[in-house]
Amino acid sequence: MITVVYGGSGSGKSEFAENMAVRNACGPFYYIATMYPYDRESFAKIDRHREMRSGKNFETIEAFTDISAVEIEKGSSVLLECVSNLVANEMFLDCGAKENCFQSVAGGIDHLAGQAGHLVIVTNNIFEDGTEYEDETGTYMKALADVNLYICGRADNVFEVVHGIVIPVRKAGGGL
Amino acid sequence: MLLITGGAFQGKKDYALQLTGLAPEDVCDGLDCEYETVFHAAIIDNFHLLIRRMLLEEKDMDSFIRRLVGENPEAVVIVNELGCGVIPTDPFDRKYRETCGRTSCRLAKSAVSVHRVVCGIGMVIKRD
Repeated sequence: MITVVYGGSGSGKSEFAENMAVRNACGPFYYIATMYPYDRESFAKIDRHREMRSGKNFETIEAFTDISAVEIEKGSSVLLECVSNLVANEMFLDCGAKENCFQSVAGGIDHLAGQAGHLVIVTNNIFEDGTEYEDETGTYMKALADVNLYICGRADNVFEVVHGIVIPVRKAGGGL
Repeated sequence: MLLITGGAFQGKKDYALQLTGLAPEDVCDGLDCEYETVFHAAIIDNFHLLIRRMLLEEKDMDSFIRRLVGENPEAVVIVNELGCGVIPTDPFDRKYRETCGRTSCRLAKSAVSVHRVVCGIGMVIKRD
């Protein structure tokens, strides 16, 4: 089963995704952390998320690029957080897939979905500030949007989170 | 508490007035109102701008929100949903966006109902 949790920054989507992954646990838990720590702010964010996860028995796997190489036990519960970082890493890090960003992320998610009993994917809405971005930001937005469309196309459940409130966009396989 | 959220310029204030039957005089504007007004106003508009001012003036958000929820539990709070864009390059803008998001989560938790307004049309996304 694939569940996508979508929302803006500060919407409470991670908290919801974590709690849901815990509630629907099957087999071991993996938390795939994709945030590449490059400054104080990202370290602070990582700390905040670690704090939220503590006591929830996740095994944390850091994977900044190429998640198709991540090995997980068959039938496990996996929380992938988050796609917006993963796409940025594949595009902008030296070790990233660059122009093959979409294929790498989509292929990696296919790989995880093939192994996991329940795959929960957190992704971002960055598309509504009304600014026309050019160059790499615009390219990044398009790549993230393409990945979002792909994973939501495959997902059994899609939830949008607004101020901590969960809005089911598609709900087929339980999840809440 | 009633929380009304949505993007910029979506008709949130008119929606709030229509929903509650209150008058424009009952609205205080987060842009420039006195902080104390917030604790007894019927409708608080532009709550995100109030948060922005408080951050600029380094005021204590936590105790302010606690006081608001305690002293004005019937308030109608209107806020822009502003986390759905590209990460701002300016550190203050990032902090503002993050604080707005977390504060809105907190208000939404206290609110008996939350309405999200798109193009002037409200959708109830929470009702206790």
